[in-house]
Amino acid sequence: MKARHHLRTIVTSAVAISLGLTTAACGSSGGNSSSGRARVTFSYLWTGNEAKALEGIIAEFNKSQDKITVVGVSSPDFQKQLASMSAAKGTFDISDNFGNGVGSWASKGILTPLDSYIQADHVDTGDFVPAAMNQMKYKGHTYSLPIAVHDFELLYNKTEFAAAGISAPPTTMEDLATDIAKLTKVDASGNITQLGLGNPDTGTTMTTLGYAFGGTWDGPDGATPSPDNPANIAAVEFYRQNIIDKYGAAKVAKFTAGWGQYMSAQDPFYTGKVAMIIDGEWQPVSIPTTNPSLQWAVANIPYPAAKPNLAGTTQLTASTLFIPTNAAHKAEAFEFMKYLTGAAGMAAFTKALGNLPARTSLLDSNTYASIPQFSMWLQNLKNPNVHALASQPYSQQYSSDLATAFKSVLDGSKTPQDAMASVAAGAKQYPSS
Amino acid sequence: MVKRQHAVRRRQSLRGLAFASPYLVGFAIFIAWPVAASAWYSLTDFNLFQPPHFVGLGNYRHMLHDKVFWKSLTNTVYLTVVGVPLGLALSLIGALILNHPVRGQPLYRALVYLPTIVPVVVSGYLWRWLMNPQYGYIDELLRLLHLPQPLWLDDPAWGKPAVLLVTLWTVGGMTVIFLAALRNVPKELYEAAAMDGAGPIARFWHVTWPMISPVTLFQVIVSTIAYLQVFTQPYLLAQTRLNTSSAGPENSMLSYSMYLFQNAFVYLKMGYASAMAWVLFLVTMAVTVSILLNAKRWVHDGSR
Amino acid sequence: MRPVRRPDVQRRRSKGSAVDWLRVGGHWSVWRLAVLLLVLLFSFPFLVMLTSAFKNAADIFHAPPQLLPRSWTLHNFREAFRQIPFWRYLGNTLLICGLNVLGTLLSCPLVAYALSKIRWRGQMPMLMIVLGTMMLPPQVTLIPIYLLWNHAGATDSYLPLIVPAFLGTPFLIFMLRQFLMSVPDELIEAARIDGSSELRTYWSIVLPLARPALATAAVFQFVWTWTDFLNPLIYLNDTSKYTLSIGFYNFFSENGVEWGPLMAACVLFTLPALIVFLLGQRYFVEGIATSGLK
Repeated sequence: MKARHHLRTIVTSAVAISLGLTTAACGSSGGNSSSGRARVTFSYLWTGNEAKALEGIIAEFNKSQDKITVVGVSSPDFQKQLASMSAAKGTFDISDNFGNGVGSWASKGILTPLDSYIQADHVDTGDFVPAAMNQMKYKGHTYSLPIAVHDFELLYNKTEFAAAGISAPPTTMEDLATDIAKLTKVDASGNITQLGLGNPDTGTTMTTLGYAFGGTWDGPDGATPSPDNPANIAAVEFYRQNIIDKYGAAKVAKFTAGWGQYMSAQDPFYTGKVAMIIDGEWQPVSIPTTNPSLQWAVANIPYPAAKPNLAGTTQLTASTLFIPTNAAHKAEAFEFMKYLTGAAGMAAFTKALGNLPARTSLLDSNTYASIPQFSMWLQNLKNPNVHALASQPYSQQYSSDLATAFKSVLDGSKTPQDAMASVAAGAKQYPSS
Repeated sequence: MVKRQHAVRRRQSLRGLAFASPYLVGFAIFIAWPVAASAWYSLTDFNLFQPPHFVGLGNYRHMLHDKVFWKSLTNTVYLTVVGVPLGLALSLIGALILNHPVRGQPLYRALVYLPTIVPVVVSGYLWRWLMNPQYGYIDELLRLLHLPQPLWLDDPAWGKPAVLLVTLWTVGGMTVIFLAALRNVPKELYEAAAMDGAGPIARFWHVTWPMISPVTLFQVIVSTIAYLQVFTQPYLLAQTRLNTSSAGPENSMLSYSMYLFQNAFVYLKMGYASAMAWVLFLVTMAVTVSILLNAKRWVHDGSR
Repeated sequence: MRPVRRPDVQRRRSKGSAVDWLRVGGHWSVWRLAVLLLVLLFSFPFLVMLTSAFKNAADIFHAPPQLLPRSWTLHNFREAFRQIPFWRYLGNTLLICGLNVLGTLLSCPLVAYALSKIRWRGQMPMLMIVLGTMMLPPQVTLIPIYLLWNHAGATDSYLPLIVPAFLGTPFLIFMLRQFLMSVPDELIEAARIDGSSELRTYWSIVLPLARPALATAAVFQFVWTWTDFLNPLIYLNDTSKYTLSIGFYNFFSENGVEWGPLMAACVLFTLPALIVFLLGQRYFVEGIATSGLK
């Protein structure tokens, strides 16, 4: 009897609480704050320290004018981003993504075309790095603006180079092959203890090598998948011949599995387990804080000896800002986008995150002087051999199919020809633009 | 008289409806409508953002030729066929052990249940770490025992066993239900069996097993459904970085629900994903019904 | 009607249970060993988590791995508290969990009663619906339900995380229904003949009898809501409304994981649920036991 009484009390009070909560929850939703400022929600994928740097810049923007208040939300999940954009009422006004996703989203009508804003405000898009700006466009319209770009160079361990008697970084692919052999160590039982060339991210390493061999991943028109381009196959074949076949797929897999967390103190490049990597401009920021004792340097990605015109080839990827179609405050969101992608905002942002600016006018800025060896990445953006993957409707699925195919080469189950042919076969099913 | 019976029956129906009404409302809003929507989507080309475009049975026909679809289906069948019996055996043995009065029993039970409380996002990363061939504990243990140390997540042959290991780790929920079932077996039955001279094994097979069989049936059904829908564990084990959807070497860890998810949220093929969901629903239904039909042969019904 | 039995440890020990064949030579040592082995097997990953929470970064990744820290540190806990507003998220999570448990206790037994003790034509179809719902892949309903809540303007509120519990959870309805089946009809009939209304019979006769099973359902619902990740992730936007489970995202970044603080946060996350389980266990295990889940 007593227990029943008790239960009833709990139930009654809890119903009261939940009713109160319901009204509170309904009451708190609203767009504009009382001060007359428009409230722009900026949902970004960055987390941790990068998010903190970004919040600093948001605070600066809020102080700089009195019409808009930007509220930043760190929300690193793609699924949530999509769910919100699929609804009639969006939960954010501006967000970020990667450059090669622009076409896919633009083709589905999720992104607000920025052309009219760009025209009205006389934004000079000519200052943005061309390869990045290319990704922002779909069918002649601009749907995104780049906030930062990334390119890839060859990082090497100076201590290991000296120990192997190598005096200069490789300039040709042939040199690279020789150096990989010199820098790879195998113990008595055939286990690899040091690898000449590592791959922090198989997809990026392979596609970058493809460009370096003179290949293209999106056909001559830049809008058709071309995985079986002979130069692409040659690049994958290079990796297979010099690493997988030479030391055994199983041995390489075992060694790779033991690599520490990327960019942690146990990162294989930081600990000398891997003597060279092809990686981006965030490394010069990370290395001095994570492993200051590492003796490293950076060089351009080698080119095939027969094709010296390919010197300085690199792949560019971009981080972009966009306004979803269901945003509530588009014009205000563009104001903020202009601020972030403007020279001052971009310099502050990229400096804080250790990324490359997407504006050519910033490439020679001394903002980045304090970051060691950063100029290699910066300056190489001016090279005509900067390539970027297309941003077409098929791009997302293409990347994931390529990643699967590269993996099958690395684990020795497929030849580069077969792997790329299977991607090409699958690509026929991709949605057309 | 007949009229009165009618009235009584109607009143009973109204009562039934009234008591069941919370779920009726919930079903209508959260199930019936989404299910109807997805049935319609499954017949369309739909990318979540633009109006669906009717394609008839095109999505279903596409499945027949989609190699990845079949790969994900066979992976899921493998996990279910191996995982359900293993999980059942493990949770039953665990319950038998934990049913024994030992000091500290409540704590031990809590510790076996503990894995189900650990947030899945964290346990995925934790297990990736435990299975790391270089500084993981599992291979270290195997090394100490002079057993071969697999590469786990980097070896196509070991991806699925790795997924099973992680799913079996959370078998504590099933163990708790079995524990309860064991508690419910009347002790007189054991005493009678012991008097008939039955040994411990005979007592298990002739008393315990039939008496708990209705609960076992419940467990078989619930865990079969769970394995056919398995998503989080393989998804997190295969994921090497945040937001990248990976499926292990040679898609060895790609479960049906993972491929469904990829289609829906990575490739934005909502129509195809909806069709896949319907196929999964029908398969689950067929499997459950066949389990139920077979159950009469081994499930002991105590009430009749 | 079968009398409700309380497990009798003493008698069980003297008469022996179904599985005492593991008892070698009349000693309990083999049992204890089996229990310890089992517990170790299940709690080992948690043990790794627990000890790692007290390790410094260098000790966490050490080859070969070592379970105990070389030097103990509280740094990770301080860091975890610094990175996420733990108490606020704890409050949010407890609020949502509490309301979910309440919702489940109000709705599930009600529906279970209709599915077991009221003779009406809709009973079987209704049971089929409940079972069918359990078979539905959750991906099917995710987006349509999201769109529904968005249409209702309720995203970024707790409503999508709470209201469903008030409308019943199939698994728990099914479980409670199996329990109520074993409640003797005579008790209910007697009450009905006395002129008690159906609701009164349910409230004053059936619910008190069902208390152990309700505790079971409550603990299950609590733990599910406690660990739920996807729903808070999708529906909550305002960081001040976040729950603990999505607070973990603070320790992940595109390029890796902050292991130490993550492990510390995870220990802090698991403890409250563990306490709820330990408290609920008394009703819990006895609960289903007396219920005759069939």
